[in-house]
Amino acid sequence: MKKDFFEMTTILNPVLEEDKTKDLVQFISDLITNNDGEIVELDEWGAKQLAYIIDKKSTGYYVNLYFNAPGIAIEKIEKNMRIHDDIMRYLTIKYDAKMKRYYELRKNGELPVFIEPDDEEDQDDDN
Amino acid sequence: MINNPSHPKKGHLKSKACKFTQAGFEYIDYKQTEILEKYVNDQGKILPRRVTGTSAKHQRQLATAVKRARFLALIPYVNENMR
Repeated sequence: MKKDFFEMTTILNPVLEEDKTKDLVQFISDLITNNDGEIVELDEWGAKQLAYIIDKKSTGYYVNLYFNAPGIAIEKIEKNMRIHDDIMRYLTIKYDAKMKRYYELRKNGELPVFIEPDDEEDQDDDN
Repeated sequence: MINNPSHPKKGHLKSKACKFTQAGFEYIDYKQTEILEKYVNDQGKILPRRVTGTSAKHQRQLATAVKRARFLALIPYVNENMR
């Protein structure tokens, strides 16, 4: 079956105990592997300040994963994640060729360097 | 607007070249919040192309990236603790 490359970021409940969080991360990765997916990279960002309050919480435990899976698996994975109380947010993105190339660059630490936009002070040179 | 020194948007004028094209971006990642924050104003709104000089292609990608980052609470929808 044709598999695509996906990226998923989730925000988990930050007030769980450490082993509960570990179980939950395991739960998510099991969900993927049980639906014919294979995890390529799992990156836990840890507890982070949220930019706005979600479910009366101001921090969240971020988990970022990359995986290969058939497209129909996503529906099942997300359905299970939706009904789980300790998963506050999730976002799954399918990678196209350009994004995959970007992912390879990021993995090798060769991301294009962003040129700083000039500050507004030194812009008055055109009159 | 270019020739009027008292124009209110004058101070915001940046150079016309697209920073993403110059740097050779193929995909703007929602996780790179330091970059995204340069392209929203202090209320959290996405800056228009006419202000930043971003190319049309990258502006579309940028808008998607900002919206994804907002959904994951990486950057705010509205910044109310201004002033």
